[in-house]
Amino acid sequence: MEFTGSQTIAASREQVWNGLNDAAVLQACVPGCEAFTAESADEFKAVVVASVGPVKARFKGTLLLSERNAPNGYKIEGQGEGGIAGFGKMTATVTLADAEQGGTLLTYVAEAQVGGKLAQIGSRLVSSVANKLAAEFFKRFNTMMSAPAEAAAK
Amino acid sequence: MYETTYFRASSLEQAVAWLREHEEARPLSGGMTLIPTLKQRLAAPSHLIDLTRLDALRGISVANGVLRVGALTRHAEVAASPVVAQAIPALAQLASVIADPQVRNRGTMGGSVANNDPAADYPSAVLALNAQVVTSERNIAADDYFVDTFETALQPGELVTAIEYAIPLRAAYTKFRQPASGYAVVGVFIAQYADAVRVAVTGAGASVFRWFDAEAALNAELSEASLATVSPDLDTLPDDPNGSAAYRGHLIQTYTRRSLQALIAQPLRQPA
Repeated sequence: MEFTGSQTIAASREQVWNGLNDAAVLQACVPGCEAFTAESADEFKAVVVASVGPVKARFKGTLLLSERNAPNGYKIEGQGEGGIAGFGKMTATVTLADAEQGGTLLTYVAEAQVGGKLAQIGSRLVSSVANKLAAEFFKRFNTMMSAPAEAAAK
Repeated sequence: MYETTYFRASSLEQAVAWLREHEEARPLSGGMTLIPTLKQRLAAPSHLIDLTRLDALRGISVANGVLRVGALTRHAEVAASPVVAQAIPALAQLASVIADPQVRNRGTMGGSVANNDPAADYPSAVLALNAQVVTSERNIAADDYFVDTFETALQPGELVTAIEYAIPLRAAYTKFRQPASGYAVVGVFIAQYADAVRVAVTGAGASVFRWFDAEAALNAELSEASLATVSPDLDTLPDDPNGSAAYRGHLIQTYTRRSLQALIAQPLRQPA
């Protein structure tokens, strides 16, 4: 399953790139993030509470950055183990470009995999939920990046 | 399931107070989604706040062109209600084809609308019938209520108490049932008012949505020929192993046509 989306961010490409590599920014973008620690510049450990409809499960996992191409994009991979609930994995290829009306255009192509009980019971819901989580991540990122730029402009 | 504490509320105020006090508590109505989820250990609420003894959340009545249904009303009660059959027969018919008899005898309208499952039937009626979702805090217009998959405008500790439907001139609902679960693979509710036609689609997207192009076509001319001039935007539909976007688009078109045929076959209700 593949999802694509884009966000136009009111900040320069360098600023956006720095944000994509900033642990504090990434932590704030992960929906339901309870704990976040950097293992290295490329790897983070996270505890995430996924709360979707009636389901609420705690996932322990990692966030991995790779294929860095500054300041044009990279690959971000998150995976988590939710014990009895199952496991989930999401990979997104992020591309940055200068937007026509100024700012930066961020586009992503994400892929999701879910296994275990969640996949068994929720197979009809997996694509809309994964799509929603990816969109939420990049929407939060946009808010984080656009806010300081707007404040500076005032 | 995991251990939890069961509380039975005797008033709406008490239920809301308990939900505020215990952050990890969940309200329990018919339990047709929540209980199976708990059995599978996919959620572990600290408390279950049982709402089913709150008689203030029951009852079906009509006044001033509005059909009001209490949140605790079970699907089977809506299906069998002479008041609903008189005011909005399409709503009674919808309730009669939700899931299976067990679910219809336990599940409640408020629970379904609060849960906002993307394939549930009721959200399409709430949206097409321009309903007000009445909660413990306020009234929310249907157009502002449904946000995304399992997401609504409800805030933590806010409970649905009733749904108020604007009675249409005529309305119809048809669906393509998932053969095992009875969920709507696609369900289309069309409501005709004196000033506009509203078309709501459930099952085919991340959440229930209005098909505005079809509404515009039917507002111009209420006919199959007019409907045939529009087709759903496939880019907005999920494309996954359960169904391609093209397949979902085809089902939307087919079931919108069937709902329209069922609507046109009815006599126009005389405005009161």
